[in-house]
Order: sequence, then structure tokens, then C-alpha cells
Amino acid sequence: MFDPKTKVLVVDDMLTMRKIVTKILRELGFIDIAEAQDGNEAWAKAKSGHCGLIISDWNMPNCTGLELLKKVRADKDLAKTPFLLVTAEAEQQQVAEAIKSGVDQYVVKPFSKEGLKTKLESTYKKVSVRNSA
Amino acid sequence: MIAENIFFCVEKHENHLIVKFSKNPESSDLQEFESQLESISGHYIILDCDTLIEANRDFIRVLLKLHLATKKDNKFLKFINVSPSLLTFFKKESLDTTFRMAHNLTDALSEIGVVPKRSISADFIDSFLQSTTKVLKIQADIDVSHGRFEVTKNQENGICDVSGVIGIICNNFNGSVIISFPEKTFLNVLSKMLGDEINELSSENMDGAAELTNMIFGQAKSILNEKGFGLKMAIPSVVLGKPESFLSLHAGSAILIPFNSSEGHFFLRIGLSA
Repeated sequence: MFDPKTKVLVVDDMLTMRKIVTKILRELGFIDIAEAQDGNEAWAKAKSGHCGLIISDWNMPNCTGLELLKKVRADKDLAKTPFLLVTAEAEQQQVAEAIKSGVDQYVVKPFSKEGLKTKLESTYKKVSVRNSA
Repeated sequence: MIAENIFFCVEKHENHLIVKFSKNPESSDLQEFESQLESISGHYIILDCDTLIEANRDFIRVLLKLHLATKKDNKFLKFINVSPSLLTFFKKESLDTTFRMAHNLTDALSEIGVVPKRSISADFIDSFLQSTTKVLKIQADIDVSHGRFEVTKNQENGICDVSGVIGIICNNFNGSVIISFPEKTFLNVLSKMLGDEINELSSENMDGAAELTNMIFGQAKSILNEKGFGLKMAIPSVVLGKPESFLSLHAGSAILIPFNSSEGHFFLRIGLSA
């Protein structure tokens, strides 16, 4: 599992959803959690150093989660950052697009604490393998 | 009107043509009709067969020619008001699968895509029932049950204090889904979702209604699109109370489904565009 000291960036245009994700992360032991309400704000925070893990909503105004993912993967400093996309829709075409863009995990709303924990564990394993290769 | 003959007339519309027959054709009528094929074949064509009782082989030959010409242009013919005797003839000639038929003009236009199909199927309602139950259970640990649903034309029915609204654009119809809560129910549901007691509705927490609507719509969309409904992505919003602008926007007939739970009651309203 991720080190609880990992800096987590939670990105969602809905405050309620940011609160839900943050609450679950705190229950899972994470202590350093920042929030952003769209991809642009998240990008600025990520570039300024707050980024060991990004959990981002897909559908947001200004800069979507997918656009943020593409920017992160194209940036030499952030390219290896673990990235989870959260969305209310899970159609094959969307999942394929997210995978192609380099997403580590795809979380479908609604999700429980256990559901998010499983996705985080899976992401951690995937990233460990990727970074040791 | 782009062509007229005693046997037929052609009405030109923006996206389609309607060909109306006034009687069973004679050979001179068919020659005239055939001479017009080139000018009408590049459109969606609705053939109104209301006055046709039968068709001879020459007429069928011309119709097949028109069918192939429209198909070549990626358009199609749609037969409406086909009499039982004409349908029997088409079947006998094995043409009932070649020629596309619709019950009436409205159905034909909706199949062409000129007007939306105005129907909400059982599949459609069921997917929203399943999704609502699942979302409330997983995200808020609330068991819900639904009551008997009704069709309503009253634009205020089921609209409570806090409503999450999302537009529906799909192959069958355009409309909206509204999930509407009395304030007390909404605050109880939100408290369960956040794990904190929320006692007051505020600009900061009302987006919870939009998020719930988003999740319910997203779940239903996945189910329905596997069945070919073609729902498009949409952005939810929140409405407080019953502003006139909101009610008038959702004034068409709607399916109203009451839900009950330990945290209070709420409504799901699936409406057709007015």
C-alpha cells in the first residue's frame, strides 16, 4: 500500500465528492491531502510539488481529468505519478481512452471505502512494477 | 411541393420528402413517377400508401428502383399507412423485409431522426430504479425501496426542496431525469455520504444532489447504452425549490417514482421534453 506520507491531490469540481474522497483517504491513513476543483488548478498544484498520487474526476469544466492525465504523462517531472481517474461512467470506449492515455486505475462512482482501497492497492502494485522496470 | 401528378404528389421538407399516392397507378402514371425518381432519390423519402389497395409488378419495379437509389445515397424509403392487402402483397413477393415500414408519419419521422421517439420503455425505467438503489446503498449505505410509479403531467409533482437535474439525449427521446429531495431527507442522505452530521443546506453542500444525480445517470447510462439507447454524456445541476423557469422547462409528461428509506422519502422524475 502507499506510504501514508504520500502527498495526495484530489481533483473534483464537486465539493461533496472531494470531501468524500478526502474522508476515505484519511480513514486509510493518508495525512497530506490537497484539493483542486479542476484540471488547471490541479496542474498548478502538481507542478508546485504537491503530488505523489493524483485522484481526479473525469468530467470537470476548464480542464478535464483526461486532459490533466495527458499533461501529467507528458511532463518529465510528473510522468510517473500514480493517477486514478474517477467517473460516473464506465463505458468500454472511455476506459480504453483512459488506458491509452496512461491511467493507472479507473474508479467508477459510486464507490465505497473498500472499493477505493482495493483500487489504491492495485495502483500501488502496478506503479511499483513500472518504476522498478 | 416539387412534383405533382394525379397519381402522386411530393412534399418537400427540410430533411425529407413525403410522397403521397392518390390512387392505384396506371402505366402512364408510373412512367411519370419514374421520370421524377432522380430528383427525389437523394432524400429520406416517406411513401404515404394510405390510398393504395394493391400494387402491380410494374409499380414494385419502380419502388425497388427508388429504394436502391436512396440506399445508394445512404438514405432510405419509409412506407407508412400500408393497408393489410398491400402488406400481404409485399410479403408474398418477399419485399416486406426490403421495404421499411412505419405505422404512421410520426413514427417514420422519428426513425429518420427528424423528431425524437417519444417513449420511455420499461428497460429505461428499470435501469434508473436499479441505479438509484445501488448508488444510495454504496455511497450512503442507505437501503431504499420504491413505490408505485405514475405518469404525471403536473409539472410540480415530485419536485421538492432540493433537486438534482440532468438532461437526457438519446436515440429514443430527449428529456430529463430529476432526483428531488425534501430538505430533511437530503441533509440525512448527505450526512450519511460524508460521515458527518449536516444540519443546514448551504451553497457548499447542495452540489451533493448533483453528484447523486450524476452517479445515478452514469450507472443507468452504462446499462442502457449496452442495450443500444445511445445516451449522451450530460452535466448535472442543482435546483432549489420550484422556480417557474425550472418548472416550465420540465412541463411535459413524466414518470414519477416515489422512493422511501430510513432517511426519508424522495422522488425520481423521468420526463420527456415539453
